[in-house]
Amino acid sequence: MLVIFEGTSQVETTVRAVLADILGLSAYRVATFTANTPLFGALPELDSMAVASVLTELEDRLGILIEDDEIDGEMLETFGALVQFAASKALV
Amino acid sequence: MTALRFDTYDWSGGREALLRFGPDTGPVVIAALPLFEEANRTRQFLVTVLRDLADHGIGSVLPDLPGTGESIVVTGESQVRDQRTAYTELAQQLGRNTYGISIRSGALFDTDAALAGRWQLSPQSGEDLLRELDRGRVASRSARASDTDYAGNTLSREMLANLCDATPYAGAGRLHVVRLESDPRDADVKHAAPPLWRRSEPGNDITLAQLLADDISHWIASCES
Repeated sequence: MLVIFEGTSQVETTVRAVLADILGLSAYRVATFTANTPLFGALPELDSMAVASVLTELEDRLGILIEDDEIDGEMLETFGALVQFAASKALV
Repeated sequence: MTALRFDTYDWSGGREALLRFGPDTGPVVIAALPLFEEANRTRQFLVTVLRDLADHGIGSVLPDLPGTGESIVVTGESQVRDQRTAYTELAQQLGRNTYGISIRSGALFDTDAALAGRWQLSPQSGEDLLRELDRGRVASRSARASDTDYAGNTLSREMLANLCDATPYAGAGRLHVVRLESDPRDADVKHAAPPLWRRSEPGNDITLAQLLADDISHWIASCES
């Protein structure tokens, strides 16, 4: 179920910027990401070490804390899933 | 521009390599790279900053601290305490007005040294560094070689304890903190740039290096006046 929090578009912009910065992707490329764009397992740049960097950078920029047990394949599966996860932590 | 020179320095625990840039007189900068993988990701960038500083007429040294770079001290035996001692003793030996500059966890080493000022890019506490190292282990979810293996770095229990308590300088001396615009934490100056230390491959940012070298040289000039 997809829940849209108010302020999600700001979180979405931040997630795009983080993916671009950490994975070295062009702004153009991340601008093409949609909710269904697959991430972990599909982007070769997103290996497990890069996952750690992406999540920590999101924590720093959004002022959130991500627990170890929240890190799973689901929240990293698609761009939409990652945005939703980040929004759920940042906007409550 | 005075070319790069390879040199060594002695501290009470041994001898380590260092790079020298710029003139041998006037104020001198000690540059500190972050620990572990971030050092590889930012070394070329830091050297670019130091070359640019040399163009500004400011000399610098980039030491290997024990347990880093070419040091024969293995990572598993490295300790923040020793790294701080080596840094402090090097600063003493330089005998000129000495300024410390650092990137990320490089800010953990200059805390005890007698410096005319400290300039930090995105300083990181030991605790935050540990959190990131731990997260790397969780994210990889592979069978760890041992309890002391962190992304291929073997860290001793002493080192982990050292890092837990280590924080950047918080004294009354001159401190200038620079952060990236994407970082919401306090800073004296912010620059719009991506965090090189988080990329998976080593990289460089020539424009940012020039901006930071300008910033450092203006800051040193204001400290000296």
